[in-house]
Amino acid sequence: MSFFSEIPTMGRESLRDFKKGIDLNFKEFSRSYGDGIEGFFDPLLMFLVWLEKLLVNSPWPLVILVLAGLAWIGSRNWKLVAGTIVCFMLIGYFGMWKDTMSTIAIISVATLVCISIGIPLGILMSRSRKLEAGITPILDVMQTVPSFVYLIPIIMLLGIGKVPGLIAVCIYAVPPIVRLTNLGIREVDKECLEAVDSFGATSWQRLTRVQMPLALPTIFAGVNQTIMMALAMVVIASMIGVRGLGVPVLRAVSNQYLALGMLNGLAIVALAIIFDRVSQQYGKRLQKHREGRNL
Amino acid sequence: MTYLRNVFFTAILALGFSSLTTTASACSLTVANMNWASANLMAEVDKFILENGFGCEVELVEGATMPTFTSMAEKGEPDVAPEFWANAALVPLQAAEGEGTIVTLNKAPITGLGEGWWIPPATLEAHPELTTAEAILARPDLFPHPEDPSKGAFVGCPAGWGCQLINAQQYIGWDMEAKGWLLVDPGSAAGLDGSMAKAVERGENWFGYYWSPTSLIGKYGMVPVDMGDWGGDDNWHNCVVKPEQDCGDPKATSWIKSEVYTIASANFTEQAGQDGIFYLRSRTWPGPVMNSMLVYMAENQAEGADAAIEFLQSHEDVWKDWVGSDMRIKIKNAL
Repeated sequence: MSFFSEIPTMGRESLRDFKKGIDLNFKEFSRSYGDGIEGFFDPLLMFLVWLEKLLVNSPWPLVILVLAGLAWIGSRNWKLVAGTIVCFMLIGYFGMWKDTMSTIAIISVATLVCISIGIPLGILMSRSRKLEAGITPILDVMQTVPSFVYLIPIIMLLGIGKVPGLIAVCIYAVPPIVRLTNLGIREVDKECLEAVDSFGATSWQRLTRVQMPLALPTIFAGVNQTIMMALAMVVIASMIGVRGLGVPVLRAVSNQYLALGMLNGLAIVALAIIFDRVSQQYGKRLQKHREGRNL
Repeated sequence: MTYLRNVFFTAILALGFSSLTTTASACSLTVANMNWASANLMAEVDKFILENGFGCEVELVEGATMPTFTSMAEKGEPDVAPEFWANAALVPLQAAEGEGTIVTLNKAPITGLGEGWWIPPATLEAHPELTTAEAILARPDLFPHPEDPSKGAFVGCPAGWGCQLINAQQYIGWDMEAKGWLLVDPGSAAGLDGSMAKAVERGENWFGYYWSPTSLIGKYGMVPVDMGDWGGDDNWHNCVVKPEQDCGDPKATSWIKSEVYTIASANFTEQAGQDGIFYLRSRTWPGPVMNSMLVYMAENQAEGADAAIEFLQSHEDVWKDWVGSDMRIKIKNAL
């Protein structure tokens, strides 16, 4: 009867030893390799600190000018540029300038890291079915595993601060760009590729001259998704000591400061909308060549 | 189809019967099981002793500090809060005591507890002069901040906790910015624990805020920093605990004494009688024993209930004076 009332378990003792074993092994690993891994990320940390200092210490009109300029380059849309300027003025007016700059710094670096890892990975995936079958489940895990779960080993390995925060953000934000790069390249017309092959292109030429340009709009949708997901992780990253808009949000949550939470939450939303619209507009411009096509 | 339905209903009936249990007991009590390890352990030990020594029926009620207190004051339930951090509710607690709904039975259920600044034992060994806050603050170079190694890192309290304001004010009060320190916000409990654990595991220096009794303090043998003299009630209550915009010139001070009590409802004193009152009055956990039990819990990933049995088995010298000799035998027999 006990078989039906109790699900078979591996037993208290062995389960405990099992968990202890994993913990101990990881601690051992962290003790022997932690310093090396930390050292490996040092250049990234320096870049992050430099960018944040640059954004925080530059005169604000200059920063807004640069951001507005980027919005113009991306979207060629005056309304969007005006919206960007107004949003950043408001953010400054409500005293969130410094936090917003910190957030922009980490989001930009996270996006760069994701792009530089994600696009090559996506290209590799598009070339081999086996690799695709192997990487896809890993991407699924990365997107769905609760972030608190991987925060624990990251803290043990790298402590708290910008780099562990950045890694946490990237784990969550890199999957869409990998997926969409893979998809974009796989979607390129067979006829196109046949034509390229018949002209005797090398596989490098085939990739850089044909597949990548044709896949660019899809890849750009991936970049857009990656930025959005990175912004969604701002608050989580603040839980392991990353400065930025997430910190006041956490403070607001645990003290029930309504206004503080709303203001900083809206600042994150404003950043998200600006980044999203600009990158979407840019992606649409890349797709212009498709408009005249008959399908 | 009918067959399947029969099976289904039989299964439901079986479920219903298996949950039926009946017991009758002279006294029935509820004990607050707070959501942190030491309180969880104390609740389980109280439960075991009240059940097996006093013959009461004891139910644990999950809770956090303020909800539990409110419920005790308003509804008289749970009957016992073993580890109640009273600083947050001193005034309402006095009011409830005046009305007779709550009695404070033990003003020091755990010795040697409190908040403050800590350093790892290895740091102290390498630099024996670093026993006082004054001496540590003079050496920011020993605790370099990863993002700006020219400054020292002082790990404060996570955003949103009451202690965050206090640490920020202490940072000003001790003039730490001028002394070359940066206040690090660890962001969350996991961040604070992790930063300390990582540093100690690697043999790095660490300087920051923590509190005892906790498994981390016990596990790593963290050393409390002597923070000097108490800067006065007025400084603490009207400045250090307030945000910077309310009070901009805090004075450096040691930490306020944490008032931790065991409180009980009127129902408890009726049901458990003089023996019960005597038990809670004399039930004082020595700090090192509590810390070692918390280490046991963390290392074995043990629940409070398992740790309670481990405690009762291995620390009889501690609990033998909490109860009369006849109860001691009953409890030992039940183990």
